[in-house]
Amino acid sequence: MLVKPLGGELLRGLLFVSFYLHLSFVLLAIGTAIISLFYFLGNRGDKSTGEARWDREILRTFMAHKSLAAVLGVGPLLLIQVGHSVPFFSSIGLWAPVWMALILLLIVASLAIDVLGHRIRGRRSWHLGLGIIGLASFLGVPAVFVVVLVTAENPEGWFAIIKNNFRLAGPLALHWLLRYLHILGAAIVIGAAFHYLFSKRKDSRKDSALSRWLVIGILIQFVLGPLLYLSLPRRPGAAANLFLLIGVIGAGLLLRSVYYLKNKGRAMGIKTLAPISALVLFFMLLTRQTLQDKTFLPLEREYQAKAAIYEKTLGPFRQPSVQKYQSDLDIVYDRGAVIYSRSCAFCHGDAADGDGPEAKNLAVPPENLSAVRTDRRTLHKIILAGTPGSGMPYFSFFDRSKIQGLMDYLDQKWGVLGPNEPPPGPVPQAALEQAQKIYDQTCAQCHGQDGRGSRQAQDFRPSVPDLTVYNLTPQRTFAIISNGYPGTVMSGFSAAYSEDVRWGLAKIINDKRK
Amino acid sequence: MQFPIFQVPYLGNGLTIALDGIVHVVISHGFAIGAMAIIVLSEYLGFKNSSRRWESFAKDFLRFSVIIITGVGAVTGVGLWLITSALSPRSIGSMLRVFFWPWFLEWIVFSLEVSVLLIYYFLWDRWSAKKKKQHIRLGFSYVLLALFSAVLITGILGFMLTPDGWPWNKSFWAAFFNPSFLPQLLLRTGLSFIMGAVFSAGYCLATRRDADFRREALRLCGKVALVLFAVTAVASAWYLQSIPSRFRTHAAFAILTSKLSQHPELFYLINAAGALILVAFALLSLRGSSSILRALLVPALLFSLGFVSEFERIREFTRGPYLMPGYMYSNQVLLEENPFYNEAGLLKNSFWFNKTTDNPDPIKQGVYLFAQNCSSCHTISGINDIKDRVQGRTEDGIYVILGHTREMVPFMPPFSGTEEERKILAHFFFALSEGEIKLGAPSRFAPLAGSKNE
Repeated sequence: MLVKPLGGELLRGLLFVSFYLHLSFVLLAIGTAIISLFYFLGNRGDKSTGEARWDREILRTFMAHKSLAAVLGVGPLLLIQVGHSVPFFSSIGLWAPVWMALILLLIVASLAIDVLGHRIRGRRSWHLGLGIIGLASFLGVPAVFVVVLVTAENPEGWFAIIKNNFRLAGPLALHWLLRYLHILGAAIVIGAAFHYLFSKRKDSRKDSALSRWLVIGILIQFVLGPLLYLSLPRRPGAAANLFLLIGVIGAGLLLRSVYYLKNKGRAMGIKTLAPISALVLFFMLLTRQTLQDKTFLPLEREYQAKAAIYEKTLGPFRQPSVQKYQSDLDIVYDRGAVIYSRSCAFCHGDAADGDGPEAKNLAVPPENLSAVRTDRRTLHKIILAGTPGSGMPYFSFFDRSKIQGLMDYLDQKWGVLGPNEPPPGPVPQAALEQAQKIYDQTCAQCHGQDGRGSRQAQDFRPSVPDLTVYNLTPQRTFAIISNGYPGTVMSGFSAAYSEDVRWGLAKIINDKRK
Repeated sequence: MQFPIFQVPYLGNGLTIALDGIVHVVISHGFAIGAMAIIVLSEYLGFKNSSRRWESFAKDFLRFSVIIITGVGAVTGVGLWLITSALSPRSIGSMLRVFFWPWFLEWIVFSLEVSVLLIYYFLWDRWSAKKKKQHIRLGFSYVLLALFSAVLITGILGFMLTPDGWPWNKSFWAAFFNPSFLPQLLLRTGLSFIMGAVFSAGYCLATRRDADFRREALRLCGKVALVLFAVTAVASAWYLQSIPSRFRTHAAFAILTSKLSQHPELFYLINAAGALILVAFALLSLRGSSSILRALLVPALLFSLGFVSEFERIREFTRGPYLMPGYMYSNQVLLEENPFYNEAGLLKNSFWFNKTTDNPDPIKQGVYLFAQNCSSCHTISGINDIKDRVQGRTEDGIYVILGHTREMVPFMPPFSGTEEERKILAHFFFALSEGEIKLGAPSRFAPLAGSKNE
C-alpha cells in the first residue's frame, strides 16, 4: 500500500487555505449570477434606465469568478482526497451519477452565462432562456457538493442512503437542505459585498440597491444560520462554537455598518468593510472545517489502523506478485509460439494433444490439435468465432497478423494445414462397401451425404464439422468413430462395427476433404 | 479500501472517461496551448507591423478561445478528476499518493495559468499603446505556464504506461521522469500546435473577409503546422519505441477492436489518409488558397480529433491489464491482492457487498463478482457487453476461461476470487448468455439497481 504523502496539521492547514480561496470565488460567482440575473429579469427589455445595464456590468465579472472558482477547487479536492480518502470516495461512490453530472452542469452554466455576459447576438427571449438555464445549472453545483460533504461527514448514514435507493432522507436531508440554502445566502452576501465595494461609486441608485442586497443576504443568513445549527448531526464542541460566535459578531458588524450607520451617513469605507467580510468568511469556514474534522479525524485513525493490518495480511504476496509482473512484461504476444503457449495450451496442452491441465474440467474435451487437418480459411474461422457449445472461445482479440502467426506455428509444429492422410494399412474392399452403406444410413443423418452436415443437425452445438474442409488424421478419426466424442451427439461404434469397417468409415470420412 | 461501485449504464466506464478526456485534450492542447500561442504571435505581429488587422484577429479569436478554454476546457479537465473519483476511486486515490506534489504544483500552475489568461483577456484594451509590449509578454508567459502544466501532467500519464523501476523501488523520480515522459511531452506539444494551427486557420476562414489578410494569417498557420509535423513525426516514433513491446503489440488492436481486428490494413490506411490531409491542409495554408481549404477544413478538424483520440486510446488501452503497471490491475485490484482474494475469497472481503445485502442468492453474488472483476471494462447489455463475450460457451468452458484470463487475453487482468466464486460467476455468465437471467443495464450492483430483474 502506498504511503500518504502528507497529513496532520500541514494537510489541514493547506486544505483550509485552498478551500477558503476556492469558496471565495464560488460564492462570488454564484452571487454574481443571482444578482445580475435578478436585474436582468427586472428590466423586461427596458434599456433606457440606468438599472438596465447593471446586470451586464455585474455579469461581465462572472467569467473570472467562475473560472477561478473552478481551478481553485482542484486544490481542496486534491487535499481532501489524499487526507480523507475513505469517507470522501465512499460518499462520491454513493452519489456517483449526480457527482459526474457536475461536469455537464458546469459546462452548461458557464457557457450559457458567459454567452449572455458577452451579449453574443440574438433576441431577448433567447437571452432570458440562457440566463435561466445557466443559473439553474449553476445553482445545482453547490447542491451536489453539499450532499457529498454531508454524506462523507456522516458515515453512519451511508447504509441508510443505499437502503433508501440512493437518496438522502430524514434529518440528514434537512441538514443538507439548510446547508445548501446557507451557501446560497452566503453567495448573495459575498456577491453583493464584492459588487457593492468594488463597483464605481458614481451611481447612487446602484449603490443603495447593492447595499440592500447585502442587508437582505445577511438577514437571510441570520434566519438560516440558527436552523442549520440546530440541524447539525452532532454537537459542535467548544472550538467550533467559538469560531462561529466570532463569525456571527463579524456579520453583525457588517450589517450594522451597511444598514444603520449608512443611513446616518457614517458608512464605513472599503478599507474596513472588505477585511470584515473576508474575516466573517474566514471564521465561518473555520467553523465548517472544525465540525468536519470532528468526524474525519477519528475515522482517519480508525482506517489507518485497519490499513496497517491489511498491509500485513498482504505482505507475503507482495514480492511474488511484482516478480510475476516483471516476468509477464517480457512475454510479448507477437509470435505464434507465445500465443499458443499462453492462450491455447492450458486446454489443448503443450503437445497439442488436447490434454492440457484444464481438459479434465471440460465436458466437451479440447480437440487434439496435432491431429487436425484443415485449410487456412477454415482454421481462421474457427479461431475467430470459437466453437459454440464448447469451451472454445473466440480469438478475434488478436489481430490478423497474430492469428496468421499462430496458424503458421500450428502448421509447422503439427502439420495442421497439411493434406489428407491415408489410413495406416489397406482396408478390405468388403469392409469399405459395408462402411459406405453405414455412412449413408447412419452417419449421413447428421454429417450429410456430402459431409457438410445435414439439415437435421443444423442446430447441434457444438455443430457438426464440415468434413469437406476439416478433418483429422485417420487414427484420430478412427478413435472418434470407435469411442465417440464426449459431450456431443457423436457416439462410439466400437461395439457395433468391426475394426475393418471402422477403418473403412475413417477413410470414407477423410476422403470427403479433397 | 473499497468503495461503492457505480457503472455508467450502456456506455461503460472507459468510454465515459474517454468522452470527457477527448474534449479536454482537444481544448487544453488545441486551444489552451496551440491556438493561444498563435493568438499571442498574431498580437505580436500586429504590434510589430502596426497592423490593425492582426490585432483585431488576435483579439476576436482570443474572446472565442477564452470562453471555450475556461467554460469547457477547464471544466472537462477538472471533470476527468470528478469522473475518475466516482468510477475508479482506488486508482485515482493511489495515483494521488504517488504524485501528490506534482499535482499540488499543477494546481498552483493551473490557477496561475487561468489567472494570467483572464488578466491577458480583460486588460487587452487597457494595456494598449505604451503597455502593449508588456501585454504581449504576459501572453507569452501564459503559453509557457500552459506548457509547464503539460509537463507536470505528462510525467503522471507517462508513469501509467512506463513506470520503469517504480514497482520495485517506489522511487518518485523514477516514476515521474519515466521512459515515455520526454517523447510523450514532445508528441503532445506537437499535436497541440498542429491542432492550434488548424483551429486558427478555421477561425480565420470563418470570420475574416479581407482576402489579403486571410492569406497572410493562413500562411502563419501553415508554417506553424508544417514545422510541428516534423517534430510530431519524430516524437511519435520515439514514443512508440519507449512503450514496452508487451504493450506496444496491441496498438493496432486498440483502434480496430474485435470488430475490425482482421483488417489491420484499415488502421494503416486511415492513419496515412489523416496525415496526408493534415499535411495538405498545411501546404495549402501556405499558399493561402481559401476555397480548397474550406473544403478540407472539416476533414482536417475531424482527423485532428481522430489523431488525439487515437493517441489517448492507444495509451490507455495497450497497458491492458494494469491501471498502474506493477501495482494495480485495471479492475482496481492490487497485484498483491489477487492471490489473497484467491485464497481468502472476494465476497467475504467485500465491505459494501456484505453490508448492503445479506442475500446468499448466487445471482446477486455473481453480479457482485462481475462488478468487482469485470465492470471497469465490461457492461451488461451495453458496450463491450459481457453477454457477447461469453455467448456460445458452455458453463464449464466459462469457468475454465475465467481462470486463465490473464494468460489467454494479454490485456485482461486475472480473476480474483476462490474457485467456488469462479464457479458462481461462471454460472451467472452462462445463465445470462442463455437468457435464463435477464438484466437491464445495471448501474449499481449491491444492491442491484438500475435494471429490470425479471
